[in-house]
Amino acid sequence: MTSQTARTLGASVRYEFRMQVRKRSVWIVPALTIVLFLLIGGSLLRDLFDPAERPDAARTAVVGMAVQVYGLLSIGYGCLLADRLIRDDRLRVAAVLDATPSGPGARLVGKYIGAGAATAVPILAVYFGLATAYAVDTGALHALGWALATCAVVIVPGLLFVAAFALAVPLIMPAPLFRVMFVGYWLWGNVVAPDMMPTLAQTLIHPLGGYPMVALLDFHGIDGDQTWAGPVPGATLNFLRPDPTPTIAWLSIAVLLVLAAAALAGGHAVRARRA
Amino acid sequence: MRPLTLWRYEARRAGWAALLGPLIAVGLGVSAALADSQAGDATTARFLLGGLEMGVPLAAGVGCASLVGRDPAVELQLAVATPYRVTLLRRLAVTLGWAAVVAGVTAAVLIATGWWARWPDNHGPVAGQLTWAAPVVGLGAAGFAAGAVFRGPAAAGALVTTLWTFQQLFAELAQLHLPGRLLYLFATTRGTVPGDWTGNRLALLGAAATLVALALVVLDHSERLIGQEEE
Repeated sequence: MTSQTARTLGASVRYEFRMQVRKRSVWIVPALTIVLFLLIGGSLLRDLFDPAERPDAARTAVVGMAVQVYGLLSIGYGCLLADRLIRDDRLRVAAVLDATPSGPGARLVGKYIGAGAATAVPILAVYFGLATAYAVDTGALHALGWALATCAVVIVPGLLFVAAFALAVPLIMPAPLFRVMFVGYWLWGNVVAPDMMPTLAQTLIHPLGGYPMVALLDFHGIDGDQTWAGPVPGATLNFLRPDPTPTIAWLSIAVLLVLAAAALAGGHAVRARRA
Repeated sequence: MRPLTLWRYEARRAGWAALLGPLIAVGLGVSAALADSQAGDATTARFLLGGLEMGVPLAAGVGCASLVGRDPAVELQLAVATPYRVTLLRRLAVTLGWAAVVAGVTAAVLIATGWWARWPDNHGPVAGQLTWAAPVVGLGAAGFAAGAVFRGPAAAGALVTTLWTFQQLFAELAQLHLPGRLLYLFATTRGTVPGDWTGNRLALLGAAATLVALALVVLDHSERLIGQEEE
């Protein structure tokens, strides 16, 4: 990496992060989502602080909390990022930026890291806030370690995957249409039972993190009776569902990151053709 | 300007997403029905009606959430004789009207082919049209109001999609109490208390009217629109 590229990348990350983290909507959307969560009640979020209801193991509690918090907040995450890359064209600053010595690739990666990280701040704040409250309430401080591990192998790879597609896909379709398709994909590719219809849920391409949860965090649902990864009898696409092992779990994380890189490269190519 | 020209213009300003979204939603509902490997008649019919009750409202809701904040020169709109909120109301009508056309035609096909009647809680061919009409109007109004408050499609679209997903993922929890049941979007295909259906549909329509009125009040403060969404 040349020094010019490094400088462009650093400046771009800092600028995009600061710009995005100051947007009120980046905070309001997750806040309203959590309010809705708490209003409904009866979910794990409330049960976590009820000694009679919460899971016995701190690990199960914080991973289960991640599934709920990240599974729901990532919808807003993808929708909020969907206008970031096309924004430069909409505001007619893309040509000005292209005229500077900064390379478009470094600016794209900077926007990806900066805007993606800033939009993730409220999600991580909510998650670690709840995990800290849980650790203090139960006295199980090692819950924070499990929360960090969950963040590293489930939440971060998933958000990197979502952010790449949220930036790149609106280059080839209107951003509102992407938001509709993204929500449909998120439910279909994460939640739909594999024996109901062909789905990417519980495969290696599972941004909710089925393989890491099962093989790295030994999580099988709050009550220990759920399947999050691996072959499902009678399901199609089982060739994408090898038996969950730690190696396969790391492979599934690598698959998400490779697909994210491919999406960004595709977005870069589309912009280069239009320039 | 001739009325037809005006409405064609408003349809273009509503955007491709508003026009393509409902068609894609119906297409996905039909695809899900075809792909369901546990298909019985009732399950397949549920997917087909689900496309109308879930897919079309999502598309309409995001379309309506994207109406405020997309005019590049909103100062011009604020300077003409027609109030800008009336212009936005026309685009809201186009977005919801097109969703209604797509859903209505699909419903007519389902009724004619007998699939409508195969879902036990279909509520008949006439009143049953509230299956799609109430959530389309309800989520559309929520998106429009969110767009007016946040002055931009990103936050409003994120809220609409989150609300929709929330009701999908937590269908039972969302319907534990009467207020939640009355505002539940998918009462026909995922409702827990069939006796609440009529009240639920009317409550959604009432909430929609309230939200549109709220949006019009907010949009009346035209100075808020000049800054547009924080970039």
